Amino acid sequence: MGAIFELELPMLRPLAALLLLTTTATADTADGEALKGMTWDQIVTEARGGTVNWFMWGGADNINSYVSDYVAGQLKAEYDITLNRVPITDAAEIVNLILSEKEAGITDAGTVDLIWINGENFRSMKAADLAFCGYTTLLPNDALVNWDNPAIANDFGVPVDGCEVPWNTVQFAFAHDSAAVAEPPRDMAGLIDWIKANPGRFTYPAPPDFTGSVFVRHVFYHAAGGPDALLGPFDQARFDEVSAKTWAILNELEPFLWREGATYPTTVTQLNELFANGEVAFSFNYDPAQFGLAVQDGLWPETVRSYGLADGTIGNTNYTLIPFNSPNKAAAMVVQNLLLSGEAQLEKAKTEVWGAAPAVEIGRTSAEVQAGFAAITGHPSVVKAEDLAKAALPELQADWLTAIEDGWRANVGN
Amino acid sequence: MRAETLRLLAGLVVALALVLPLVPLAIWSVAHGWRFPDLLPQAWSGKAWALALSQRGGVLESFGLTLGIALATTALAALVGVPAGRALGLYQFRGKRAVLLLLLAPAILPGIALVLGLHDLFLRLGLVGSAGGVILAHLVPVLPYMTLVMAAVFTGFDTRIEAQARSLGAGPWRTFLTVTLPVILPGLLTGALFAFLVSWSQYLLTLAIGGGRVQTLPLVLYSYAAAGRNDVAGAIALIYLLPGVVILLFTARRITGHSVGLELRP
Repeated sequence: MGAIFELELPMLRPLAALLLLTTTATADTADGEALKGMTWDQIVTEARGGTVNWFMWGGADNINSYVSDYVAGQLKAEYDITLNRVPITDAAEIVNLILSEKEAGITDAGTVDLIWINGENFRSMKAADLAFCGYTTLLPNDALVNWDNPAIANDFGVPVDGCEVPWNTVQFAFAHDSAAVAEPPRDMAGLIDWIKANPGRFTYPAPPDFTGSVFVRHVFYHAAGGPDALLGPFDQARFDEVSAKTWAILNELEPFLWREGATYPTTVTQLNELFANGEVAFSFNYDPAQFGLAVQDGLWPETVRSYGLADGTIGNTNYTLIPFNSPNKAAAMVVQNLLLSGEAQLEKAKTEVWGAAPAVEIGRTSAEVQAGFAAITGHPSVVKAEDLAKAALPELQADWLTAIEDGWRANVGN
Repeated sequence: MRAETLRLLAGLVVALALVLPLVPLAIWSVAHGWRFPDLLPQAWSGKAWALALSQRGGVLESFGLTLGIALATTALAALVGVPAGRALGLYQFRGKRAVLLLLLAPAILPGIALVLGLHDLFLRLGLVGSAGGVILAHLVPVLPYMTLVMAAVFTGFDTRIEAQARSLGAGPWRTFLTVTLPVILPGLLTGALFAFLVSWSQYLLTLAIGGGRVQTLPLVLYSYAAAGRNDVAGAIALIYLLPGVVILLFTARRITGHSVGLELRP
């Protein structure tokens, strides 16, 4: 190979490049078990020159540019890894894609090398053995993750078991336009009263929409008098008791909702649009950073403010996962390790970049990174993560989620 | 006089009906915040266009890819559709109706059923995730249009003009280029126009067979629309319209043009 480069013939350069391309294409790292027996340095050597097809939600151009510019730039410069960001609208489609690959017998040449995932999609992948597991301790930056935190070690109640690597933590918050509603209700009971007092000014996306589903869970927690009795495996008797109360509350609210509850938005995007147009007084999101982005993009007025509830809001962690049939596991691991680094976590926490809360313990990062985190001022429309964290609620196990979503459809959204 | 005024009015109404839905798209693409009940955006911004036309936005790259796929699909469809259309248009043979029905099937079947079946097949063939696979997949809904248009063209085609050319010493290739092609060209262009636009507008098939890796313009457009970025979606939608309009302008006159071969028949 070196001999070809030494020939300074311009004609041969494309040929040499082609040869290089074919050699890197054949050096695939589909065999995850072999990688587990290697040291990190060996994995990095295997990863060099690889390409990672990362399937991720592509609807926010600042997140896209963080990944395509910052992350991809670092990967290319430091590891000669090409990051190919594949924008998707719903991770469930990709889970189905990987499942059909498995059914078609494609075990080492899958399309997907990395996927941004959590919750029900993670449960589906783990249950169908579609995830590459048991390697996360190999990543040097894994040491920055506090695996003793149950909100990180469990993804919607499903133990992570080394099958995915945390990327961001988020906590549900409400957004309101301070010019329209100066003093929004600060707890669930207050919100229910407010909705009744202001007919037509509130709605929520119909579950199983991700965001609508979590709103309904807040009502469910409220009906149960807190989440404590709901944690742990699914309990039919308890579900029947609490869900009856929940459906009663939601059905009672229905005539006071937008369009008298005759119809619900089907996505959070629709809710955001209703909120932007002032038709409803509140929007809400699992990732409050989205509020700041909507204001920056001019979609929402600058008077938008956000807040959590005194009785707490639900938080979760989102992750990146390597499918079992990824042909570029080594390079995908390097990507995950880079995403976890203090520097990369700090970069995406910056308000103008994304404003995403870190998945690593800030106290375990370097002094410069810690100083960087301390210097972040935050967007005025985005409630501070520390303020939200004062009243944080855990997510339920996935079986509860599907039961609540199905129950809503049968009892409320009928 | 009055009939002419009416015709003009009807023309205007049709033109308005076609253009009006595009106006909000154009406004959105230069808006920075456009909320009810404002008639016009609060502020104007070139951000959406800057993003759509930048290297980073990936829209231009996607435009080129979509164009390449649609052109390749059209060329392949013509290669298959012209001879097939000739056979269907000129000759009677056993099972012709069955062939026609099979040809029409992909145009009649619900797209989603087609996609599910094709996806499984293409997975096994290792064609998923590549532009080549997407082109092959696009041929399925495209071919019926091309073949049926060409069959209609050849129904009115008089093979005696080819015989004349051959008797005057032209080889088969020259006969095709100088005699057959000029006669069928308006029809071929119509077929190609359909083929191009059908391929250009594929969403589901591209998503499934491309495995998300073949990011054609409809996919990019949808991902912004689904995320509520009406400004960027508006800009991409206008870019997306471009080829259709350009092709229509270039071919409109040729398609309606008359040609000699079709009038020879008594």
